Amino acid sequence: MKKRVLSVLLAALMVASMAVGCGNNSAGKTENGSGKDGKLEGEITFWHSFTQGPRMEVIQAAADKFMKENPDVKITIETFSWGDFYTKWTTGLAAGNVPDMSTALPGHVVEMMDAEAIIPVDDVVDDIGRDRFAEAALSEGERDGKCYSLPLYSHAQVMWYRKDLLEKANLEVPETWEEFAEAAKTLTKDGVYGCSFPCGSGDLMATRFLNFYVRSGGGSLLTDDLKADLTSDLAIEGINYWLDIYENCSPKDSVNYAVLDQANLFYQGKTAFDFNSGFHISGVETNSPDLVDSIDCAPLPRINADDPVYGAETSNIPMVVWANSEHPEICKAFIKTLYETDTYTDFLAATPVGMLPSITGISDTEKYQSNETVQKFSNAEQVISEAVGLSAAIGFEHGPSVEAGLLTSQGIIEEMFQDIITNGTDVKTAAKAAEDKLNEVFASVQ
Amino acid sequence: MKTKKIDYGRWLLVLPALIVVGMLLVYPIFSSLYYSLTSKHLIKATYDFVGLGNYQSVLTDPNFYKAFITSILWTVASLLGQIFVGFTAALALNRVKRLKGVYRILMIIPWAFPSIVIALSWKWILNGVSGFLPNVLYKSGLAAELPQFLSSSSLVFGTLIFINVWFGAPMIMVNVLSALQTIPQDQYEAAQIDGASKLQQFLYITVPHIKVVVGLLVVLRTIWVFNNFDIIYLITGGGPANATTTVPIYAYNMGWGTKLLGRSSAVTVLLLAFLLIVCFIYFKIIGKWEKEDK
Repeated sequence: MKKRVLSVLLAALMVASMAVGCGNNSAGKTENGSGKDGKLEGEITFWHSFTQGPRMEVIQAAADKFMKENPDVKITIETFSWGDFYTKWTTGLAAGNVPDMSTALPGHVVEMMDAEAIIPVDDVVDDIGRDRFAEAALSEGERDGKCYSLPLYSHAQVMWYRKDLLEKANLEVPETWEEFAEAAKTLTKDGVYGCSFPCGSGDLMATRFLNFYVRSGGGSLLTDDLKADLTSDLAIEGINYWLDIYENCSPKDSVNYAVLDQANLFYQGKTAFDFNSGFHISGVETNSPDLVDSIDCAPLPRINADDPVYGAETSNIPMVVWANSEHPEICKAFIKTLYETDTYTDFLAATPVGMLPSITGISDTEKYQSNETVQKFSNAEQVISEAVGLSAAIGFEHGPSVEAGLLTSQGIIEEMFQDIITNGTDVKTAAKAAEDKLNEVFASVQ
Repeated sequence: MKTKKIDYGRWLLVLPALIVVGMLLVYPIFSSLYYSLTSKHLIKATYDFVGLGNYQSVLTDPNFYKAFITSILWTVASLLGQIFVGFTAALALNRVKRLKGVYRILMIIPWAFPSIVIALSWKWILNGVSGFLPNVLYKSGLAAELPQFLSSSSLVFGTLIFINVWFGAPMIMVNVLSALQTIPQDQYEAAQIDGASKLQQFLYITVPHIKVVVGLLVVLRTIWVFNNFDIIYLITGGGPANATTTVPIYAYNMGWGTKLLGRSSAVTVLLLAFLLIVCFIYFKIIGKWEKEDK
């Protein structure tokens, strides 16, 4: 008898608790997890790769402001370098440990879309204003008519040079690869290297440099059917070109260089030329303030002087919302606030000219134009802005693809250069081996 | 019939340890074994059973054998260097009478640093443009040009072994020193009275007393050094041109680089099998020594 009473009591308690639970849910939360009356409520994790101080601070300030305006929201920010970020999200995906929202690289986004790891953000794009984004930038994260990412800022690779060294040697800013090699060789003296050629296997630098050359000749490192193409005449010519630069103008240690090692040489005034985005300005400002007035940039060299100015690599740094997120509505609301004119301009001002706006209506504002660095480097800003519109991520000239992402993330082209440099392997043999290896990797994701 | 009563209380006491061991040891081993038989890809949701296909791919890849030979050379050279330096330092410290503690602390410093600090510090010291050591050698005239410790294929492997010896020798030193201090001094005194030379004292008193400890250290260090990943990866990433790619780096590149987790798991299983064989041989030898001592 006692057991029966206990059972009835327990059952009643369960029913009551379920009713209370339902009541709470319906009274306090909407279907998508927002609180009552659309009030946002919940905790999200945001992974980003803005490891430098000012950018990190602006993002944190924006999150703090958002949390103040939405007291029931908590945003936890975790920062990883780009290299670590790739390992983090790929391993996280396998283990079910991914954030609610994150930054990414365009190549990552394609892989994320393939893995069905992220959700469309068309509603955010529409709220900000679809026509404010460049169509090419949006298309990098597009599949089946849906946008899975939106670009937070843009930049492009251009040629940086030391005005003072060129002037001293009576040299013009090179316009062709031939002039570039000549100038770089001339300027390799007195502890300064003409141009460092980086090929550390943990980065994409050699792929980037080779891509410059191949794109300048109208080619691509991928064929139309998305196979690696390192054995075309143009690619072999490009490989030989950079090997010549390595041999004659570069520190030998650059065989192991990643992006920061390479940039540091320019920041320290030890290279006359380098290829990078507007981020070089802040790097030089921080490391060698006395050299800031001596640097400027120009379009990438061409094969012939009368070839048109081209772009070889534009990076539209995207933001994504992860499918695993329990609170996509919070992520989307927060992303929208990042594009508010004041916040957005502050963010860009953290690395002026380095990060160019991905939306219209910012660069012509008084606040944006009043920035001292933007004024001082107006030529650089113009050169980079033009290059932004002329290209896409490496390999994206055939449209966004996993192959394009793998082309830069495997270090295979870098290993190819290392093999030629340190083992003396024949260029064509090494190029064929690297091409086969890349195609094998491409096949593994089919 | 008398039945044996199970003492559940005892099982409860060891249960937490069993769970921890299960999670940290048994699960990873079995999951690696399982994945090694599949086409598991890091960012693909589905995968198939491929039998021994991954093993076949690995065992027919020349780069695997290259990495394996590099691993053997890395382990043997590092181990010999660490034992020589650690042993010599321990013998020296054992004879020191004053400030013994200070010397011990100074010598253990390399072991106390996290690998990331060691790797980045050495990378900075050896940088071929602005590194301290290449510039000292060049400016003092000892080198005709800036030595490329980390990018020259003839120097990079030796450089990494030097760093590993510098890093691992203190651990050998501390353990050998502890073993040396357990040797009864009266045995040396008796040997001296009998007219034994220093070398004879070392060979017939010191070595027999410490050989089991050194043997166990060799087993542990073999496993650690063979599996060492962080120092090499952080300093050279396995390059240039795979000159410093050991089996763990090969496995890492396979798993997190090309994302072929199944194939990467096959490499780790092969690595485990190899180390088990090595350990089995070591323990046979140590067991024989222990029997001789009894």
